[in-house]
Amino acid sequence: MPLMLPTVLKNLFTGYATRLYPIQVREPFDKARGHITFNDDKCILCGICALRCPSAAITIEKEKKELHFYPFRCIVCEVCVHECPTDAIDLIFKWRPSVYEKPVEVHQARGKRKGKEDKESGTKTE
Amino acid sequence: MTVVEAMERLWPVEISPRTKYLRTIWAEMARVHSHLLWLGLLADAFGFESMFLQFWRIREKVLDLMEMTMGHRVIPSVNVVGGVRRDISPEQKKVVIDTLEIIRKESESLVKVVTNDYTVKARTVGVGVLTKEQAIALGCVGPVLRASGVSEDVRLTKYQAYGDLNYEPIVETAGDCYARTIVRARELFQSIDLQLEALAKLPEGEIAVKVKGNPPANEAVMRSEAPRGELLYYAKGNGTRNLERLKIRTPTFANLPSLLISLPGCELADVPVIVLAIDPCICCMER
Repeated sequence: MPLMLPTVLKNLFTGYATRLYPIQVREPFDKARGHITFNDDKCILCGICALRCPSAAITIEKEKKELHFYPFRCIVCEVCVHECPTDAIDLIFKWRPSVYEKPVEVHQARGKRKGKEDKESGTKTE
Repeated sequence: MTVVEAMERLWPVEISPRTKYLRTIWAEMARVHSHLLWLGLLADAFGFESMFLQFWRIREKVLDLMEMTMGHRVIPSVNVVGGVRRDISPEQKKVVIDTLEIIRKESESLVKVVTNDYTVKARTVGVGVLTKEQAIALGCVGPVLRASGVSEDVRLTKYQAYGDLNYEPIVETAGDCYARTIVRARELFQSIDLQLEALAKLPEGEIAVKVKGNPPANEAVMRSEAPRGELLYYAKGNGTRNLERLKIRTPTFANLPSLLISLPGCELADVPVIVLAIDPCICCMER
């Protein structure tokens, strides 16, 4: 106990070790892995992110042109961010806020092929 | 990290010196965090709750360093086959050095309590004794083996940047829980020294080499010294996208048999301390 006394006395005269979290939020570190976001306009539904994701947090339905993202499976390993050929996935440094239910994000992606075909067919008819 | 290095040996890929140093720094950072976590848990195991939170309070500083340099608080996610994804900038380097000095200063006062306090000694000295012969026979690894008087550490094989750093394994001879505590406490400071040395020697250069193609038909073994002891990865490729085999041996799997000797005949109240002294990670072991 006497050996612990300096630490105890020091603690008496120093501030709190914790923050009043929801009110006081620490600024996120630069390049901290907070969470990822999708840019639907850039997504071409190539499926590389779904293939590379180690925790199967992304699924793609090409017929519906939808990208499903399960944020609670995501481990923010950043693999999809690096692999995305069109830079449609961004890393946000802030942590995801807490929620009561596990949501599934559904993204309506632009898709590549249809857009190209439309353009091509458009140019052909013109 | 170990799995990535095992994969690099499959090709084999020559990684840059800066990558080696960065990996060493992050591995040692993980060791500081793991040993502080363990010292806190040990205090918790014999009911020294205030000490437990004091250690975890210091640990938070290491976790902040890890988040700043790697992005995540515990799981690095920076290693890729051929290199690393993040770099330590000169500004970050300065913050890391300053924070490590604070951690050392704060830990010193607490470690003094752990190693000299009467109550701590009463609960750990002579508890869960494992002799040198028994430790070798049961194939123990890491701090458990070193606390029994065996000078064995995978870092002596000079993987990563350990060849360039001034490293000597820390050995105690008693083989009880107290010796394991001393080994881990001294390794904590040694780890801080190794980080500071590696940061001072950090060479300039590329952080990643591009690796193309599937893993070749080859096999590789990589051993590394995780905070809990020797971690082994065996990888076998067959030229396709998927590996043919990946075998992992975690330190807890190697250390668990030591409980067969240290547990029988002990007092019931000592069981948490003895089990914790091997630093068990059941989720790592169950594979």
